[in-house]
Amino acid sequence: MSASREDNTSPDAQLSSHFFGDLLDSIIVDIASECHRIAKLGLDRNLEDEEEELRRSTQARVRAADPSNSGETNSKYVVDIFGQTHPAVANEIFDCMNCGRSIMAGRFAPHLEKCMGKGRKARLKAARSSTTAQNRYSRGSPASTYSPYSNSTSTNRLSNGSTGVAGEDLSNGTSEEP
Amino acid sequence: MDPSSAKPRCSVPKPCNHLADYKLKYGLAGYDSLQDNFVTGSNGKTIVCTPDRKIPRCFFCDGYRERLYLCLVCSSVSCLDHTLLHSRSDCGNDIAVDVKRSELYCGKCHDQVYDADFDTAVVSKYKKDLIVCRNAFESIGERSSKRRRLSSAIDLDLKKWKELPCIRDQRAKSCYPIGLRGLNNLGNTCFMNSVLQALLHAPPLRNYFLSGRHNRETCPRRSLDGFCLLCDIDIIFSAMFSGDRSPYSPAQFLYSWWQHSANLASYTQQDAHEFFISLLDGIHEKENKLRDTNKDAGDCPCIAHRVFSGLLRSDVTCLTCGFTSTTYDPFMDISLHLDSSHCLSTETTNKGSKLNGSTSISTSTLIGCLDLFTKPEKLGSDQKLHCQNCQEKQDSSKQLSIGRLPLALCLQVKRFEHSFIRKTSRKIDWHLQFPFSLDMSPYLSSSIIRKRLGNRMISFDGDESDVSAEYEIFAVVTHSGMLESGHYVTYLRLRNQWYKCDDAWITEVDEATVRASQCYMTFYVQKMLYHKANEEIGCAPTSSRRDSLMSVVGYC
Repeated sequence: MSASREDNTSPDAQLSSHFFGDLLDSIIVDIASECHRIAKLGLDRNLEDEEEELRRSTQARVRAADPSNSGETNSKYVVDIFGQTHPAVANEIFDCMNCGRSIMAGRFAPHLEKCMGKGRKARLKAARSSTTAQNRYSRGSPASTYSPYSNSTSTNRLSNGSTGVAGEDLSNGTSEEP
Repeated sequence: MDPSSAKPRCSVPKPCNHLADYKLKYGLAGYDSLQDNFVTGSNGKTIVCTPDRKIPRCFFCDGYRERLYLCLVCSSVSCLDHTLLHSRSDCGNDIAVDVKRSELYCGKCHDQVYDADFDTAVVSKYKKDLIVCRNAFESIGERSSKRRRLSSAIDLDLKKWKELPCIRDQRAKSCYPIGLRGLNNLGNTCFMNSVLQALLHAPPLRNYFLSGRHNRETCPRRSLDGFCLLCDIDIIFSAMFSGDRSPYSPAQFLYSWWQHSANLASYTQQDAHEFFISLLDGIHEKENKLRDTNKDAGDCPCIAHRVFSGLLRSDVTCLTCGFTSTTYDPFMDISLHLDSSHCLSTETTNKGSKLNGSTSISTSTLIGCLDLFTKPEKLGSDQKLHCQNCQEKQDSSKQLSIGRLPLALCLQVKRFEHSFIRKTSRKIDWHLQFPFSLDMSPYLSSSIIRKRLGNRMISFDGDESDVSAEYEIFAVVTHSGMLESGHYVTYLRLRNQWYKCDDAWITEVDEATVRASQCYMTFYVQKMLYHKANEEIGCAPTSSRRDSLMSVVGYC
C-alpha cells in the first residue's frame, strides 16, 4: 500500500518517500495488530463504565460548586444523625494518664505534650540534660514496613488543624482548664 | 473464594476451523520448531528470525517490503498476496506466522488468529531467562504466603460476636450501623481521628478485634513495656462498638502512640498518611518483639501485615539486550503520583463556570494514577544500571506491578509538590475521580508482564487468577485547606450508605458529596469481604434483639 507518486522529484527523494511510506505502513499494521489482539482476547477496557464514572464525578462537582447548595461540605452542623450537638472544642473531662490532672478533651493534646516533655520548649530543656529519647520509629530498617520506593521527606505531609478553630500553639504558658 | 465469580481477565477465543484442523494434524510441532527463531526485544515485541539472519523475502515474488508470512506447514515465506494464494492452492497450508510480529494468520479467514499454545512458544525462550533471575524470595515466600493469605482471610471471619448492650434510649439509634460514632478532637488530632475511623471499619481489622483476638487480660506486652498499642486499639474498638453514640475521646490511645512514636509526639499539625504508617509499624514491631522474631514483611503474621501488606514487583529491563531482573518488595500501602496529563490548569480558579454544561471534561482519575504507577519508566542516562547479560552499564527501563494484593488496600495520593527552584512545597488541589468499585487485575504482575510481551496468553507462576482482584471502597480520608493548615474528614461507606465523620460530628451524606470531595487516602477491601461485612453490621446481630429494634424503629 505504498504511495506511488509520479512526480518529478529526485530519485533520492522518491526513495526516502518510499521508505517513509513503508515505515508508516508497518507502524500502522503494528497498532492494528495490537488492537486486534486486545479486542479478540477481551482485554479492552470497558469505556462505557469509565465514561459513566466520569459523568457522575463531573455532575457531583457541579452540584458541590453550586453556591445555592448550602450543602454538607464544611458548613456549620446543627445536629448529627444521632440528634446530638457538639461544641467547637470538645468538653469531655477526664484524667490525664501521665500526671493525673483533670483535663478537657479538646485541650488534651497540648497538655500531654508539655506533660510528657515532648513539646519544642520541653525538648530544648531536655536536650540540656543527659537523657535523649530513643527514636523507635525508623524508616528503612528491616522491621520497617514503609515501602522503600516512595521518597517521602518531611515536607511531604498534609497537615491538619482543629475543627474550625485556627490551630494555635498553647505552649506559651496558658493555664489549662481544671 | 468462588473462582467462577471472578471475571476472567483474558478470554481465549475459539479457534477457526482451519486453525483447529492444523492443530489436530500437526499438534505443537510447528510451534516448537520455531522456538529458536523467536527473538524478543527489550520492548517486549518478538520477531521471527531466519536461521541465517538474512532479510526474509517472498518465495514467489521476491518482495521484502510488504508483510511477510512464514507458512507453518511448508516453511516457505511469502508476502500477503502470495500467502493467500498459497492457502488457496496448497490445501491445508492455511496457517502462517507474521514474521515481524509473531502473530498467527489464517489464509482462509483472511484474519489474524490466536492460540495460547503458540503464545507460550513465542515467549518460552524469553521466559526461561525471566525465571532464572527471580530471587529466592518469590519461590519460598509467595507459595506459602498465598496459602496463608487464603486461610487468614477465612480466619478473620467474625467468629465470636461480642454481646452488644441493648440501649433503648432514643439517642442510641440502634438502627444505624454498629460502630458508627464520633471521635473528639483532642487538639489538632483530626489527622488521627480520620485514619482511626477508616481502620475501625476495615472489615478484616474490625473482625479481628471484635472477635477478641487480642486479649487484653492475658496480653504480656502490658507487663513488658507498660503499654501495648494493640491493647489500646482494642479499647477503642470496644468503646466504638459498644452502642454508645456520644463522641469518644481516644486519649489513652494518643498517649500510647506518643510513647511509641517519640519523634511524632507533638501538638502540631500532622500528616494522616504518616500516622497510618506509624501505627501499622507500631503494631508490627510489637508483634515481633513479643515473638522474639524478626520476620520479613512477606510472612509476618501480625494483624497489620495480614490485612494491609501486599507485594510489589519491580522489573528492570536492559534496553539493549532485553534482559530483565526482578525484585520484590513488600508494601503496606501504595503512594500514587497524580496523573497530570489530563488535568486542566484552570481548575482551581474556574470551578463554577468551567464545569457547567460541558460533557467531556478531562480529569485526573485514580485509574489514571494506577496506570502511571505501572507504566514502564525509562531511567535517565545518569541512572544506567549494570546488565548481567551485557556485562556493562546500560540504559534501562523500570516497571512496577503488584505481585500480591492485600485484603485491604490503601491508596494514597501524593498531593504535595516540591519546587526546587522556589524551595517551597505546595499542595495540589486537583480533583481526583475515584471509583467505588475497583478492579485491580490490570495492575497485577501477571497482567503487566503479559501486556509487556504483547498481551500473549501465557500462564504465569503464581498466577493470581484464583484470588479476586475486585475491591469495594469503604473509606475515604479527605483533606481540605492548605499544606500547613487544613482539616481531615473521613467518609465511611457502611451498608452502601455514606457517612461523614468530621471529628465528633457524624452525618449522612449522599454519593455525590463523596465523589466531589478531595480524596487523600482511599481505602478498598476485597469485594467479598465488603459484602460480608455489610451483612454483619445490620441493626441487630442476633434475633433476640428484634424486640429492641422494633421499639426504636420509629426513630430511624
